[in-house]
Amino acid sequence: MSAYLTVLRKECIDNFRDRRTILSSFSLAVLGPAFFVGLMSFVLSSALGESDEPLVITIAGANYAPELVEFLRRENTTIAIKEIEHPAQALRDGLEKLILVIPPEYGDRYTRGEVNSLSLVYDSSEFGRSQRNFSRARSMVNRYSATVGLLRLVLRGIDPSVARPIVIQEVDTASPAARALTILAMFPYFLVLVIFMGGFYLAIDTTAGEREHGSLEPLLTQPISRAALVMGKLTATCVFSALSLLLFLVSFVLAVPFVPLERIGMSLQIGLLDCIAVFLIAVPLIVFAAGLLAVVASFAKSYKEAQTYLTIVILVPTFPLILTRLMNVETSIWLMLVPSLSQANLISDVIAGQAVFATHIGLSALVTSGLAVAMTYLAIWLYKRETILI
Amino acid sequence: MIRVESLCKDFGDLHAVKNVSFEASDGKVTALLGPNGAGKSTTLRLLATVLNPTSGTAYVGQHDIRTAPLAVRSTIGVLPHNAGIYERLTAKENIRYYGHLQGLDKAKVESRIDELVDLLEMQEFCDRRVGGFSQGQRIKVALARALVHDPKHVLLDEPTNGLDVMATRALREIILHLKREGRCILFSSHVMQEVSNLCDDVVIIGHGQVVFDGTLQGLRDKASEADLEDAFVKVVGE
Repeated sequence: MSAYLTVLRKECIDNFRDRRTILSSFSLAVLGPAFFVGLMSFVLSSALGESDEPLVITIAGANYAPELVEFLRRENTTIAIKEIEHPAQALRDGLEKLILVIPPEYGDRYTRGEVNSLSLVYDSSEFGRSQRNFSRARSMVNRYSATVGLLRLVLRGIDPSVARPIVIQEVDTASPAARALTILAMFPYFLVLVIFMGGFYLAIDTTAGEREHGSLEPLLTQPISRAALVMGKLTATCVFSALSLLLFLVSFVLAVPFVPLERIGMSLQIGLLDCIAVFLIAVPLIVFAAGLLAVVASFAKSYKEAQTYLTIVILVPTFPLILTRLMNVETSIWLMLVPSLSQANLISDVIAGQAVFATHIGLSALVTSGLAVAMTYLAIWLYKRETILI
Repeated sequence: MIRVESLCKDFGDLHAVKNVSFEASDGKVTALLGPNGAGKSTTLRLLATVLNPTSGTAYVGQHDIRTAPLAVRSTIGVLPHNAGIYERLTAKENIRYYGHLQGLDKAKVESRIDELVDLLEMQEFCDRRVGGFSQGQRIKVALARALVHDPKHVLLDEPTNGLDVMATRALREIILHLKREGRCILFSSHVMQEVSNLCDDVVIIGHGQVVFDGTLQGLRDKASEADLEDAFVKVVGE
């Protein structure tokens, strides 16, 4: 027992002094949520932009259609009236973003009840806003056109609905809230990554690193059991993984208020209890991760080689997460049998405030813990073989 | 006392150690000599219980290396080929780690550290992190670490490798001091100079087998060469 604690303490102190380990273990945990908030804020603001900001539109030939201009003014717009000779050129030169061109013959044709053709000049290659502003402007003009058409029909004594046999109502399920939730679905993926990254360097440093530095051989001549030695090292890896997860949760809770979720009428309440639940659900995964990383790193002959192996290993538990996300797999008993996948699903449910079955949590903990114990035994067995030195 | 009996070690098809037998007595310095790749390090590793013999065995004190490796480890101090100390720990922390692994209590470890710092003259750098240490300083830290539990047997694998003249002299004094304390010291080397200055007994290994076991004078007599180096070359047969 005391040998185990001695190894654990030494590995923790040793690695806390290593800037490389600290950076690699904790940078993702600290910066991940910031990235998260940035991404969410971006999606929300670009999705909400249309209803908030006034549409900036430049009108050329405004004096030919004063009523149309007046109609547009009453909408949420900022109108600039200019005389522009070559609208397309002005746009290409970046002087204007969106130009509505009203031709001189507009008034005459309007009076005669003929069709008028207006140009809406924009650049579709400009990402996001330009396309959206164009759509907004077009729908405004369309609305004006429809109003005028209606009036004309009424003047001629015709029921306006005759001209509109079909009305389409758009039901877009991709509301801003839904889009924000899509990003929130990345949370468990991040969390699993944070756990594995937290133990990444420690797993290497305590195994392949120790061998490469030649300190493993004298260590193995100490009168302690290999089980105590390996478990001390694994626990140190767990400590770093757990710290990384804690930092991630704290950083996430601090970051969430910066997301303008209230603008979409959504609230993301992550309290202390949720964090504790998330942490407890993740504990078996932390132990499993430490075991898996240590076992794989033990096969590597050098630090570099271990790094290469472990980078692949980290992809393995995160891959099914992406796959199930894409395939829209529902939380089920079967998912609970897979480490990382089960935790990710449970945590995702906790964050979304959904009910979580105790049997699911129990099964997930049981299976993952079982595999963690198996990994630990495997690691101890590896360290009992003399080839660990060679 | 270390008694090696018909020790063999194979790595696959390679017979690294073939039927090696010798004795190293307490209060004496025994040199394990041999050309590179002769099996010196493998023999020491077998004695340190980090490798398991294919056949044969060895006794360190009363303990069989095959059946009582933990007891053997408590009674040996090992200085491996390269120091193998932790760069981010201070010299004292390195020594303390092994003291605790050896199961010594806190007070005992600290008093041992003080003794060793004095013995090895490490006062100036014992509280600094090992990262920037010279080779001589590193060997001292590794040696102090190997001696922290006051082991009866000391195994040194080419300890003077990479040391300058001053550091080599200092190390020689330390080894002689350990010998006077009655310890059994077994060290591997391929440098004749230090062997003649330091050793009581010589075991020469060539191609995994013992080709000479005796005193320095015995070696000179056997090879009928006054010069040790010539005697060594003759005995090894290369």
